[in-house]
Order: sequence, then structure tokens, then C-alpha cells
Amino acid sequence: MDIPTVDKILGKFPEVKGNLIGILHEVQNHFHYLPEEELRYISKKTRIPITQIYSIINFYNRFSLKPKGENEICVCLGTACHVKGAEKVLDAISGNLNIQKGESTDDMRFSLEEVRCIGACSLAPAVVINEETYGQVSPKQVTTILKQYE
Amino acid sequence: MATMVNLTINGKEIQAPEGMTVLEAAKREGVFIPTLCYHEALEPEGTCRLCIVEVSGSLRHAIRVSCIQEVKEGLVVETETERIKKNRRLIIELLLGRSPYSKELLDLAARCGVVTSRFRTGEDDACVRCGRCVRVCRDQIGAYALCWVNRGYDRKITTDFERLSEYCIGCGSCAQVCPTGAIKIEDRGDERKIYTWGQVLARFKLEKCKECGRPFAPKKYLDRINEKAYKTKGLELVDYICPECVKKAEHRPTPVKTPFGGGGMPFVV
Repeated sequence: MDIPTVDKILGKFPEVKGNLIGILHEVQNHFHYLPEEELRYISKKTRIPITQIYSIINFYNRFSLKPKGENEICVCLGTACHVKGAEKVLDAISGNLNIQKGESTDDMRFSLEEVRCIGACSLAPAVVINEETYGQVSPKQVTTILKQYE
Repeated sequence: MATMVNLTINGKEIQAPEGMTVLEAAKREGVFIPTLCYHEALEPEGTCRLCIVEVSGSLRHAIRVSCIQEVKEGLVVETETERIKKNRRLIIELLLGRSPYSKELLDLAARCGVVTSRFRTGEDDACVRCGRCVRVCRDQIGAYALCWVNRGYDRKITTDFERLSEYCIGCGSCAQVCPTGAIKIEDRGDERKIYTWGQVLARFKLEKCKECGRPFAPKKYLDRINEKAYKTKGLELVDYICPECVKKAEHRPTPVKTPFGGGGMPFVV
């Protein structure tokens, strides 16, 4: 268990109600998932019951209890992206990395998720890798885009 | 004395104290409104939607959930209009889609005129997602052993990380408040098991009664009662004595030693 990291994250937040989601975001960003032991530690420190934390994690797609790859690929399948052929982009990425949606590559370099609207409909079909948004992605471009992260 | 407000329920003019819900006011007047998620001992949450009523007068004419709608001066409430009956039947049908064999739900369905449900899910978990168990565990017991997970159709109650709960004290309140019996509690030999349709929530070894030797309650539960009795009344539980033995004559002079008055499981520990 990585207590110093968690303590550092907790230290950034004042001890007031309503900071849990922010804390969980930081932990998720650091570990690329939410490890159970760390969550139990956060529960103890913040005095928020673990059941409530678990409930919140299950509610939001952003949080994951399974380890995710270093580079998180999110393919938008919202209405606009769907109409513009996001499924084909998803298939292309899936084929390129040889993983299905919701999975990570064996070397933990990439993980693939489908997301609903990310609010970038004018860029449809859109793909988000880490913080970077790629617009009007065609299945052909997939290899070039992924190369940047190899 | 709370301020009283005047309102009308099904054409009858009544008075109710401020802060009371429409459902409570209606119940007091003997008006039947079907409910599933409502429980006297719990904070209302308005999840099952069965208690819908039509309001007008001092509020905009609309369908409201009576268990969370407070009474208001000049409120006009109708509980059995055609619109309400139609909506209520649909809600029951939707609930039946998932719990087609729940006796309690079928009884309510019969009472509200629902013969069959148009919805089929192929599932049968009896749980109507009312959240009584989660609320009792959180607000009354303070154990926080149960929680909601997932969203929409996949929503269900479970424990943290969906394993046997460390936080459950084995009081069985969740099973007791469950309107459809989806959570069950079972004592077999000296073991207590609390489980739902797909998961064992917690297991406990039962402590034996010092008088009759019958295993009757988990240690965590007794400890919690002890703690509460000490904090609130300054009482200390000396021996573990089961409710039946407490009721017996020889223990009458010292009932203060144990909070198990009245027998059965105390609802609020």
C-alpha cells in the first residue's frame, strides 16, 4: 500500500464534506485505478464509510476498481459520434491493440473504454486519449494516433 | 404545539401539523395509499413511487410523491383519481416485471387492480430497490454495512466490494424492514447468515444464552447493544441472556440488566 501518495493527495484537500470525488479522481489518476487497500485507508482517514465510497465508485464510469493501462483510450459513442461511425473507430483500435472494450493490454500500456457523449459533438467521431482529444477520427488514422503513445 | 395547517384529502377537510407528510396525514385519516419504500422508523426517500397522489390548490396541479410531500395550507389532495390509478398500475406492473412472484407485490397489485404485467425481464429477485435496508443500516443502526451499487437496471444492494461484510453487526434489521423479503436472515445451529438473492452479505457465530444455552445473537450485535445501553442509560449488560429467558419470572426483578425487553429483536439497537 502506498500510504505517502495517498496522504499527499488527502493533504491537498481540506477536511470538509464533499471532497471525496476530488480525492478519488486524484487517486485514480495516480494509480490508474482505485486499489482496495488505499480506499479503506481513505475511508478511515476521511471517516466516510467504505460502503459509501464503494457506492460512489460504482456510480461513476470514470472510476475503476480494475487496474487500467497507462494510456486510457476513450472512444465516444454518443449520438453524434455513433452516427459518424464511432463503432468502426472502436473496432479499429480494438483490432490494433488486440483488446476488447473495457480491457487493458497485457503490458498495461493501453486500456480501451467506450464512453457516452463527451460534449465534443462537432468533432465527431471523437477519441480521447489521456487528456488529449482527437476529432474526426477515421479508422485509418488509428495506427498513426496510437504510434504517438508507443 | 406545532402549527396546524388546513388541507383537503379526498374531499374531506382535515388539519395536520406543519412538517407532516401528506402520506402520514392521509394514514391518520384512514385513507389507504399503497407504499413499499415507506417505513415509520425511517426517513422517507420516495423511491418506490407507489404513494403518488394528485395535488392542487396551494400547489401547482401535479402528481406528487406523498411520502416526501409535506402538508401545506390550502392543499387539495386526491388519492384515487383515474390518473393516479392508471399511473400507479403502471408502476406496479414495472415492479412486477422484475419481481413477478413477490407475494407482497402481488397483494398490492390485486388491491390496485393489476392482473398481469406487460413487462418481462426473466428475472426474479423480489427486490424492489426501495432502499429500506440501506437506510435502516445507515441511519438507525449506524453500521453502514449495506450500499447501492451500479446505476439504472443494474442497481442493486450489496456490501463493500461485494464480499462478506466486516461492518455488519448481524442485527437483521435489513431483513426485518425489507417489504418483499428479498433479504433473508437465517439462524442455523450456532450460525447466523444474512443473504439476498445472489449474495451472502454476512455470517456470524451466535453467542449462547447464559440461562438456557441456546445460541441467540452474534457478539458484535450484543456488543453494540451494550455500548448503546451504557452510553444512553449507564447500564451494563452482565450476561448474555436471550429474550425468552429475560421474559421468564426469575429475571423480572432485574430487567434493567438487559435491554432485551419485550422479546424478539429490538428494532432500533
